[in-house]
Amino acid sequence: MNHKITIALLLSLLYHFISYGQESYELTGTVTSIETNTPIPGVSVLIIGTSSGSVTDFDGKYTINVNSGDVVQFSYIGLITKNITISGQTTLNVSMEEDSEALEEIVVVGYGSQRKSDVTGSVSSVKSDELTAFPVLNAAQALQGRAAGVVVQSNNGGEPGSAVNIQVRGNTSINANSDPLIVVDGFVGAVFPQANDIESIEVLKDASASAIYGSRGSNGVVLVTTKKGRKGKLSIDINSNYSVQNITNELDLLNADQFAAYQQELNPAYVQGPANTDWQDLLYRSGSTSDHQFSFSGGSDNINFYASANYFKQEGVIINSEFERVTFLSNIDAQMTDKLKLGINLFGSRGAQDGVPTQSTGQTANGGGDDVVSLAFRFAPDLGILNENGVNTINSVGDDVDNPFAIATEGINETKTDNYRANLYADYEILNGLNFKTTFGFSTRNQTNGLFRPSTLRITAGDVGGRAIISNVRNTSVISENYLTYNKEFGKFDLTLLAGYSYQKNTTETSSAGAEGFVSNTFSFFNLSGGTTALTPTSSFSEIEIQSQFGRLNLDYDDRYLLTATVRRDASSNFAVNNQSAIFPSAAIGWKISNESFLKDNSTISNLKLRASYGVTGNQAISAYQSLARFQTVLGIINGNVVGAVVPDQAANPDLQWESSYQTNIGFDLGLINNRISLSLDYYNIDTEDLLLADASQPEYLGFLTTASIRNIGEINNKGFEISLNTRNIVKDNFTWTTDFNWSTNTNTVETLIGGIDVFLDASPGYFNTENTHLLREGEAAGVFWGYEYRGVYQGGDLPEGTATFAGAQAGDQLFTDIPDENGTADGVINTDDQKIIGDPTPDFTFGITNNFTYKNIDLNIFFQGAVGGDVANLTAIQLDAGDSNASTDILNAWTPTNTNTDVPRVALRTEKILTSRFVEDGTYVRLKNIALGYTIPNTVTEKMGIDKVRVSVSGQNLLTFTDYSGLDPEASFFGSGGSGGSTNANTTRGFDFGNYPTVRSVNFGINVTF
Amino acid sequence: MKTIKILFLLSTIVSTIGCSDLEENPVGILAPESFFSSLDDLQVAVNGTYGRVGHEDIWGRKFTLTIMVRGDMVDIGDPTTAQRRIDHNDFTVLSDNGMIDDFWPAMYQTIAAANQAIAGAELLDADEAEENEIIAQAYFMRAFTYFHMVRLFGDIPYLDTPVTDIQTASSIGSTPTTEVYENIIADLEFAETWLPNTQTTRTLPAKATATSYLSLVYLTIGNYQMAYNKAKEVIDNEGTYQLGLESNFQDLFDSSKQDASQEPLFAIDFQAIRNINQSDDGTDYAPPLTGIRSDEQYDLGGGWSVAVPSLEVFDTWDDRDYRKTVSFDATGIFNGIVEPYTVFTDFNTRAVNRPHIAKYTRFIGATANGNGRASETNYATMRYAEVLLIAAEALNEINGGSEEAHQYVNRVRARARNGSDFPADASGLSQDDFRTMVLEERRLELAFEFKRWYDIARRKMGTEVFGSTGFEGQKANFDVGRDYLLPIPNEEVLRNPNLSQNDGY
Repeated sequence: MNHKITIALLLSLLYHFISYGQESYELTGTVTSIETNTPIPGVSVLIIGTSSGSVTDFDGKYTINVNSGDVVQFSYIGLITKNITISGQTTLNVSMEEDSEALEEIVVVGYGSQRKSDVTGSVSSVKSDELTAFPVLNAAQALQGRAAGVVVQSNNGGEPGSAVNIQVRGNTSINANSDPLIVVDGFVGAVFPQANDIESIEVLKDASASAIYGSRGSNGVVLVTTKKGRKGKLSIDINSNYSVQNITNELDLLNADQFAAYQQELNPAYVQGPANTDWQDLLYRSGSTSDHQFSFSGGSDNINFYASANYFKQEGVIINSEFERVTFLSNIDAQMTDKLKLGINLFGSRGAQDGVPTQSTGQTANGGGDDVVSLAFRFAPDLGILNENGVNTINSVGDDVDNPFAIATEGINETKTDNYRANLYADYEILNGLNFKTTFGFSTRNQTNGLFRPSTLRITAGDVGGRAIISNVRNTSVISENYLTYNKEFGKFDLTLLAGYSYQKNTTETSSAGAEGFVSNTFSFFNLSGGTTALTPTSSFSEIEIQSQFGRLNLDYDDRYLLTATVRRDASSNFAVNNQSAIFPSAAIGWKISNESFLKDNSTISNLKLRASYGVTGNQAISAYQSLARFQTVLGIINGNVVGAVVPDQAANPDLQWESSYQTNIGFDLGLINNRISLSLDYYNIDTEDLLLADASQPEYLGFLTTASIRNIGEINNKGFEISLNTRNIVKDNFTWTTDFNWSTNTNTVETLIGGIDVFLDASPGYFNTENTHLLREGEAAGVFWGYEYRGVYQGGDLPEGTATFAGAQAGDQLFTDIPDENGTADGVINTDDQKIIGDPTPDFTFGITNNFTYKNIDLNIFFQGAVGGDVANLTAIQLDAGDSNASTDILNAWTPTNTNTDVPRVALRTEKILTSRFVEDGTYVRLKNIALGYTIPNTVTEKMGIDKVRVSVSGQNLLTFTDYSGLDPEASFFGSGGSGGSTNANTTRGFDFGNYPTVRSVNFGINVTF
Repeated sequence: MKTIKILFLLSTIVSTIGCSDLEENPVGILAPESFFSSLDDLQVAVNGTYGRVGHEDIWGRKFTLTIMVRGDMVDIGDPTTAQRRIDHNDFTVLSDNGMIDDFWPAMYQTIAAANQAIAGAELLDADEAEENEIIAQAYFMRAFTYFHMVRLFGDIPYLDTPVTDIQTASSIGSTPTTEVYENIIADLEFAETWLPNTQTTRTLPAKATATSYLSLVYLTIGNYQMAYNKAKEVIDNEGTYQLGLESNFQDLFDSSKQDASQEPLFAIDFQAIRNINQSDDGTDYAPPLTGIRSDEQYDLGGGWSVAVPSLEVFDTWDDRDYRKTVSFDATGIFNGIVEPYTVFTDFNTRAVNRPHIAKYTRFIGATANGNGRASETNYATMRYAEVLLIAAEALNEINGGSEEAHQYVNRVRARARNGSDFPADASGLSQDDFRTMVLEERRLELAFEFKRWYDIARRKMGTEVFGSTGFEGQKANFDVGRDYLLPIPNEEVLRNPNLSQNDGY
């Protein structure tokens, strides 16, 4: 819209016709857009065959003198021209449709922008209206289901303030993170702005697009462009949203009587407690979000500006969990001279999160002792919040744990995060077609976390008299980029060259202090000296510097043949001495077949382009100082005093280097019937080599604290297919219907591991005794589930063929597949040799489908999103079957000598909590992610109030979910784990459902006012 | 002009901040090359060995619990405790046992820290005698650690320099047991030569520590003459070395009195301190492992009833022996009322109705975590009483039933009487009877102090003590051809096939 309006304003200045004539009369009307239902200023209104005409004003209104029979032409760049014959009417309102062929969508790419039709790589673009279709905590969430090949998941369900995980085209790494690089207005590694402030998000998916970011590009690049002011009158926007949130469902657990009976089966001495408590009811509440945005923008000939303030508050569906954030953003651009343009982007935010513990980390009492969600399931329902002595209850079965209500209400876990960013630029046109741009940016992120566990939490902190810890993290980034862009047409050739230099320095400082043994529980974490015992304080510092040179060539021949070539050289301080710099090249070609003579005039095919690219990108993966020989300090005590003590941590590794991804992408774009239907297909193949793997083949007797050193060994492959289909099904004056559909599939295969040896990972909660839960095996997807294959209940007597039980089993116990050894003999008993792959958490495909309808002033958006074929391991169900906690009502159907026709084994202690296929379920789901109904109050009403536009809306998120998964929600994640290996990360240990904050269903009311 | 100025300014900024040699200058990270610049640094490197031993992986739980339950004095209490623990108690250990998997690397990390400290001395330009006095501690700690390892595993990989060439070090073969012992003896002799007669604290090894360990090493390998000589050397100089028996046996296990005690030769110091990240550095778990579930008597939040002696151990121990009183809790306090061990399970189904070990719960001072975790206890790895018993046992093998040997035992017994008349002095025993008696004395005097397993293994008593008349009844799985040694972690053998696995695993 920017361009259209700017041009329109210019037009209105240039043309200044005054129509006159005899027998004519005055025709008036308003020109509006079919797509947005808003008035269009600057539309040229011309009587064909004459020089008389007019231009619509800021409110889309025009007045022109006509004679009956005149043909009036309404035209505007980017819109389909309309000719209307006048037959005496005095009012003529016109709605105009975008001309997708003529409208050249501009796509932001690294260090520049391109016409979408010129893009040779694979780039997904998500626009502002999709990002703001419903209110989101984090703009990244708004990407979910919007772009093919981009998977978005909250790290912790509907937790207020939870981080969001984005993955582009599968996970290309094992140990390094698979998060894409986030670039906001050119600032590499920035945090997401607030969704309402974003003009567009481009996701660079293939190497041709992302190689310009070199060693940081292999996970894809997300380019965020914030809104800018535009020339014209001051525009003020107010957006207000309020939503009510609730959990989607609860688990059916035993009540107090059922629980006592169940425990008495396990232990006849169990005495039923005095209460009947539904811990889930106590823990959950109705939550809410409020989101208020105020922005104003405008511009003169030389300066334009955009500024906004946003307030977001969420009260989570778990008691005591809250998040509050204030965000400011301002963009100012100034055309100082004909040649020089200066600008500044400023961003600031303060987020405050009040958390309750979820997703057991296993690091607290007995491991898993303070996670309220799983405790609400585990905790004895026959106990109340307080016992007869008036202190908080602790569980009567299993490990001693505090009750979840006490943990949620008495503990404090407050995180305050401040983000500030400033980015200045100067753009100077040295010669015609040759521009120099320099940017200088600074950002800082300060986070303070305060944790307090009062002594009334008897298990968590009772024995130590309360515990308080305060910790700080400060990240600072300085970036300076300078580049020349040269554009020139030579005959039929159109050449664009880019060459630049970039320097960035990122530092991280951390510190923490803590104390225990507080005389009072009123101190929170603000009086550490009030503790009797100090915990060892910590601090750390790390710094990474990157120097880069980069270049790009875009060559276009006759708007038919396109060539893009990029290269980036990164030298980085964290790379080992023997490999301190790396070069990442890419090349791509495009062929606009539709511009060939044989298709040019084809009325059906309006666009057809073939694209192919190949390139190399990297993943830095190495943390600062990782290649150096190091000592580690340990706690040494001599004569009752803490003394300095070090042990060897790791040997030097001078050959350590980045991970490299070699990516091929082939795609085509097809537009039919004036681009009413546009389709993009992409196939990609990514070979990632030199993966950093902990070399577990290094014997532990070498004595390094880091028992496995990191080496560049592994290889992993991702290949996949993506479809984007956008159709404008019905485009009428009063009614439009458009559909956006995207679908993607990715196949991940581990190609090489150290010595071809399987790598087992443990992502179970610390207090589970299962050790190997996820497997990396050559030829398999990364992180498949590893465990025993459940074969039903043992009925006693002879074992069914191919099955066995654990030693000492009796009728009613679990039967598993007895895997024969290499000689084909099964040993008749289940032991660790009988484990196998029992599931794969990666979905077969994911999709999103959006339907937009407008009817007069009413708009309706329906957005479905889903994932098909991924498995979920229901660890909650494992816990609820173990006997050392409450149980799900499934246990009422447990095997007994008189109830033999059941899949639920007998009531018994299964405290080892091993992973078996009994608990691995299909996590396929289709979700009505958003349904939103909006109504724009007619101009005729609002303009009397001096308001340009008023839109009210009501929407619902996650209202419907179709799934067979028996747990709370198939979109589960359990990353935090103190499992014995501690080897958990988002790439390889997915698909576990345990104790995460529940996904919420919300109903939202919004109002948007533009002045 | 203005434009030019701005561009100039910007390019100045760029050239100021944009030039870097990209060399890493780690702050707050320790690199070996630059670390050693003073004798203090050398001591910090040595301290790493103490720190490592004080971790949960070794003295905090994994190692100590392992050898505790392998012996006949401590059985499993809570039957639902982790299988990896039960496997040691029941001799069903497999080569992927989780206890071994954890303390094996930790032991070698202690050794690597010692090697690094010893090598660090060469980077220093300091007085050699001063250097030697410090690194003598590292020699001692290396010997101390290898001594545990060789007794547990037999032939083991042996490294005595810091690893720089990972590839070569990764393919060495196992060093034979006899050669490991030779190295241990050489290290202890170095330590004996250079360590001072006394240290400011028993949490640092002194000359007598090295000498006493030499006597235990010789006793273990059956060189009774040298074992006696070394023990005698310590006993003869007990004044110089400021050694003696603590008058009240209970005070040995009272954290407020341990620091002043003359009895420990070397102690692992715990101080109720934990890292802020709640790691298991400096965290002892003996209190919860041995404590009574839901017991209120020491205000620890109750223990876990994991390592609990069989009733036979309690019943066969003469009630008049003061050491029994110190070693056991036969009652607990529940809901404010003192209850006998026969009803412990009434208050927690995971407890067991047996007396529990009291040495690590009764006077352990402050604790930094629930259930008595991270206490202030000092764990003596050797006490002077043991030196007396080593001298007695060794001398009896050289000179059966000697009077001098009787005297050593009677010094220990005198203290045990605590004013009563039991146990009476030993006298006039034959060589065989004396041997039986002195091993029994060790069993009771050093009960639950992580010694018994080594005595069983060294004296090959397994068939007897794990037979049907043993304290814990017939241990059907005990295999003399296998169980005196532990399996080397299977993964370690896979990583380096040149290592030999022990028989039967």
